[in-house]
Amino acid sequence: MADHRAQDKLAFLLSLVPYLVDHDRVSVAEVAAHFGVPQSQIRDAVRLIGVSGIPGETAQYQHGDLFDINWDDFELNDQIVLTNRVAIDDSPRFSAREAAALIAGLQYLSALPEHADRAAVASLMAKLSRGASAVPSSLTVEATATDGTLALIRESVSTGVQIEFCYRSAQGEAQSRRVDPLRIESFDADWYLRGWDHLRQGVRTFRLDRISEPVITTEPITFRAQDVTLPETLFEGSPEDLLVTIDVVPSAAPLLADYIPAGAVTTEIGGLFRTTIRVSHYHGLKRLLASMSGMATVVEPAEARTAVAEWAAAGAARYR
Amino acid sequence: MTAARATPRIPVEERLFSLVLALLASENGLTKVDILSTVQGYRQRYLVDGVTPGLERQFERDKDDIRELGVPLETIEAPDDPGNNQNLRYRIPRGDYELPADISFSPEETTLLNLAAMVWREGSLSGESRRALMKLRSLGVIADEPMLGYAPHIRVRDAAFEPLTGALEKRLVVRFGYLKPGETHARTRTVAPIALIQHQGRWLLHGFDQDADGTRNFLLRRILTPVQITKQQFEPFSADATDAALADLERLWSERTAVVAVEPATDAATRLHKRRGTVTDEAGRLLLHYTDVNLFADELAGFGPEVLVVSPPELRDAVRSRLERTATDHG
Repeated sequence: MADHRAQDKLAFLLSLVPYLVDHDRVSVAEVAAHFGVPQSQIRDAVRLIGVSGIPGETAQYQHGDLFDINWDDFELNDQIVLTNRVAIDDSPRFSAREAAALIAGLQYLSALPEHADRAAVASLMAKLSRGASAVPSSLTVEATATDGTLALIRESVSTGVQIEFCYRSAQGEAQSRRVDPLRIESFDADWYLRGWDHLRQGVRTFRLDRISEPVITTEPITFRAQDVTLPETLFEGSPEDLLVTIDVVPSAAPLLADYIPAGAVTTEIGGLFRTTIRVSHYHGLKRLLASMSGMATVVEPAEARTAVAEWAAAGAARYR
Repeated sequence: MTAARATPRIPVEERLFSLVLALLASENGLTKVDILSTVQGYRQRYLVDGVTPGLERQFERDKDDIRELGVPLETIEAPDDPGNNQNLRYRIPRGDYELPADISFSPEETTLLNLAAMVWREGSLSGESRRALMKLRSLGVIADEPMLGYAPHIRVRDAAFEPLTGALEKRLVVRFGYLKPGETHARTRTVAPIALIQHQGRWLLHGFDQDADGTRNFLLRRILTPVQITKQQFEPFSADATDAALADLERLWSERTAVVAVEPATDAATRLHKRRGTVTDEAGRLLLHYTDVNLFADELAGFGPEVLVVSPPELRDAVRSRLERTATDHG
């Protein structure tokens, strides 16, 4: 089993050295901000680099075979100055898996307005392949967000005006909504807009494929992304949520992972997992369960079973 | 200096870092004994006990850990003494280690790569994407802040994903139990993996099925046993194999068209209308493309009475039987 923490630390050291080589004198704070790590991690790494080197001719790690830094400037002023370096000049190549992950990520995001320049993205992927130490393994993710809604949302933010659209909820009712866009989130093929909803006076989440007729308004935006702290999880629980016990075949259990609340108990009964899911209303539940026919069944409460049964029966009746 | 019995504790990362530095600096490579006796982190143990099996195992693990980071740690046989393991030399050729000098990334490109790395925050590629970003930052480029916040996620919740990426990289044949829709029992498949593809939000393994003697797609969700990685290595597939698989999926998708009547002003009407490639015919029915009849039937069944499949008959039957089964299971 690989020691991933030590691997991460090594990758960091191999990345930090060329950065320091390129910067004659740089503060710990600046390096920490650039790499997005705590300052203590930079100081630890610099102390290690400062005493590291190669065995050299004498095999004794003599002074000239070691990295050196200006220790006074480091200890007194929190500034890093490399005064001697060995072995490393440039940044390391990407591993095949690293390059594959980035290339697949770019493919997945190719519907974003930022990716409009196709030729530029293709050349970026080619550079990643060439900058890898082995041929990137074949990992491919289809782009899924395809219509122009994302571009309009971005325009709304860049011009500072609200976006208005028709939104049909899982219950089926359609409403006109006016929103200050805050963030685009996605999970595989499902894309969401989180924004300040002027109708509800709160942060709401909208599925992009339930949005229709989006238009840019003339009303200025009230909130921008930096003004609002968004909860980390997209699917937040609320006290009004309904808890439903279900049986699910083990291979389909990952499909329900987002609905299973923290601390839910899962038991195995006759080859099925019995667990609890959380839903905000039975309209969402009946759609979910009808899309998992033969894979999942509601155990209780009875009203939830009835909601699913009626939905499916009404659907089946259309074929008679 | 006295050879103290109490060897100083050298942190793992210091030993790994020292090994990389030593191998990068050595033109002709170092033998294992050179390394164990002189490199920081090994020499402290060597001084006390010499070459021990434990120290040799440590070196083997360290080599694997270093190679996993994309560091090209090479083994060279002595030309006058091939096959003698004691004379193997190890080195890291600088040209294969360093990012080629003509590769640089603009602030816009760095922004795109930051976003691309973000999608793997959960799951087995999170370490890779984090380390790729470190290497990117070492180039010192400052990314443009995107105008709008993004939080994209690709999920890899299928247990088969992790072993399959490993097998794909090492080009090893895998074996797993696969449940084909319509069959009641999982059947063992022996497959040379060609690519992992996420299509319509689901992970597929595209591979060469040795028993069927042809390429097949396997939905990871239908792999019901742990993936067993064999020792059998296969020749690399051509670089076009993945593109061919994608083109095949795309061709299937455009060939398979369903005619569906949707109730106006419903969730189904909004969402199906927005699917890629959807066309409305004169009668107001939707023409929808799909690749897998079972997966598409699951999706359409979720819409309940909002959707009526007109054709093809196999899709119509699949949706109808799903709805009937759900109604019965909850009756």
